Amino acid sequence: MKIFVSGIGVISAIGLNSKKNYEALRSGDSGIKYSSKHHLMLGEVPLSNEELEEMNGVKGRDFSRTTLLALNAVKEAWGANKISSEIRTGFISSTSVGGLDKMEEYYFQYLKESNSDYHSKMIFDNGTTSEEIANELGISGFVSTLSTACSSGPNAILYGARLLELNRLDRVVVGGCDPLALFDLKGFSSLNIYDKNICKPFDQSRKGLNIGEAAGYLVLENEKSLVETGNKVLCVLSGWNNSTDAYHQTASSPNGKGATLAMNRALEKAMLDISDIDYINAHGTGTENNDLSEAMAFKNVFGNDVPSFSSTKGYTGHTLAAAGAIEAVYCVLSLLHQAKFSNLNFTEKMKDIDFCPQLIHEEGVSVNHVLSNSFGFGGNCSSLIFSKN
Amino acid sequence: MYISAASSISFQNSFRNKGFSDQLLEMGDEQTIIYPDYSPFIPAMDRRRMSEGTKMSVACAIDCLSQINLQQPDAVIVGTALGSSNHTKKFLDKIASAEGGLISPTSFIQSTHNTFAGQISLLLKNHGYNTTHTQNSLSFEQALIDSTLCIGEGAKNVLVGGVDENEPILYHLPVRLKKSDIKVGYGASFFVLSLDKKDDFSAKLLAVESYSGVKNVNVFADQVLQQNEIKSDEIDLVLYSSCEQNIEVELSSFFPKSSLIDFQKYCGVYLSNSSFALHLAFDFLQQEKGVKTVLVYNNLISENLGLLLLKRV
Repeated sequence: MKIFVSGIGVISAIGLNSKKNYEALRSGDSGIKYSSKHHLMLGEVPLSNEELEEMNGVKGRDFSRTTLLALNAVKEAWGANKISSEIRTGFISSTSVGGLDKMEEYYFQYLKESNSDYHSKMIFDNGTTSEEIANELGISGFVSTLSTACSSGPNAILYGARLLELNRLDRVVVGGCDPLALFDLKGFSSLNIYDKNICKPFDQSRKGLNIGEAAGYLVLENEKSLVETGNKVLCVLSGWNNSTDAYHQTASSPNGKGATLAMNRALEKAMLDISDIDYINAHGTGTENNDLSEAMAFKNVFGNDVPSFSSTKGYTGHTLAAAGAIEAVYCVLSLLHQAKFSNLNFTEKMKDIDFCPQLIHEEGVSVNHVLSNSFGFGGNCSSLIFSKN
Repeated sequence: MYISAASSISFQNSFRNKGFSDQLLEMGDEQTIIYPDYSPFIPAMDRRRMSEGTKMSVACAIDCLSQINLQQPDAVIVGTALGSSNHTKKFLDKIASAEGGLISPTSFIQSTHNTFAGQISLLLKNHGYNTTHTQNSLSFEQALIDSTLCIGEGAKNVLVGGVDENEPILYHLPVRLKKSDIKVGYGASFFVLSLDKKDDFSAKLLAVESYSGVKNVNVFADQVLQQNEIKSDEIDLVLYSSCEQNIEVELSSFFPKSSLIDFQKYCGVYLSNSSFALHLAFDFLQQEKGVKTVLVYNNLISENLGLLLLKRV
């Protein structure tokens, strides 16, 4: 059974919609900038909460920035779709922040003033943000929120695909969103893995990551839904897998076991050969540990014929739960434009790794199948494969 | 799909105590959660750094596997509304008190919602599917639906659980739900769902449904029963949670012959407590006392409804 992709939407530091994101990727413009507020290089969406509320017609609702960013991307992906009693429609989101940005705000105020009014506002669950987003779209019924740290996005996408495949839904909006929260800014700082400059994925002299904020969503449909909606097919989601590294809570195994399993099993699911993959959008965070482990996994899976690959984290920063979701949108754009994205800031191959990432933006080359990787805390490894229909 | 093992840590004497549904005690002010001795389940080194939620999850998970002598499940799936809320709060406190100084990463590392599921896989060295659903009051139902997909895809055994931690911030949850007469609880309940029937006794999970943001929840129970060709008078027991005042009247008009139990009296209010109800249902079915078909009716939040239908086979 084919899982059709018929809509995409994205908001990130490099653009407020998918067209703008593609233009930035094409021209090599990074969205990572120095934040004088946080003294860090960050991939921020240059819009305040008030501006996002205005744009989405939800002023004064006290929504989390998670909901606000997601609404932008979800509305772009959803486009002219309509709710219909004939099409079982669901919404599957993912986030690691959820309402935590709001909780921080109220909790820090509470610590200062000990005002008990803040109590009821300090419940920071993820699911409420998804309920708010679904409600704005008019989707009710099937709503879920995956939260597996930095692999959350693809896990929401593959859950949606499986719900179509096992005939529980006909159409599903899938993706993920994470705003910048002080919690994560301080968290990654405590791990001491920030690059003071723009990150250098897969480079020997890489120093670490930059974090960013973003939202990315896709509309997935089965054949029956397509007949009803008449939507144009952008591509198909042909393979997916989630596997566990089971090595360490935060670090990836040196031999890339979990990543290798996820890629191999996704290829098996898509019934593709390793030579069929034209481009890989890597997880490539720019940390010492991730990039070497991922490169080892490429070797394990592809041997001496590693396909073109790049990390787009140098453009957007690592957008945590949203990362795999916006990169899924980039994979669809790669197929639509027959393009391979460049890996910014690469100068020197990693020791012991004899291949290097895609260095220039290519367009109009043959791209039939693209693979996307995302890895998260808890050894959570996910791969998706998108193919031309 | 069958439930082949169940394990809970709760305010009842539920851990490794088959038949606990016979000894239920309503939650009073003095009642506390009953923790087991964790030492047979978790190595001392790991125990020290684990949060209570992780310890509960790992102990229940390992207990489930040992009940059926299963080495490795094909998937590990957790439903938790608030995840690692203790570590989240701890890390916020550290940020507040650090004032620009260095902060230890320990709580940050353990703060992600998938810590429970991740730690289970890490201890088991399990390389299979591993995910975490965080859908408010329907987190556990979503984890169960995901498990049914795994079984549909060929998995033989799926380890699935619902867990939420004790978090003082949540003491205000009943206020938000406008149900101040109910106590806040917490706990963990894990299960092995299997493709094949394991024992003479087994409980078949006939339906798992999750409805978010729906205006009229009343229509769904009827739909689910019809789909499974079960009449409402065949339901022996309804385990329910609700924030509606007249829920008993409504349910008894729809299920005139069923026993009704407000399961939150025994486990307290927490957002994944339908997992406790599933274990309670399983335990009732296990005792040969005439309960053959049970419906778990989770309407903790008025616009969200979870339905679990199970039958002794």
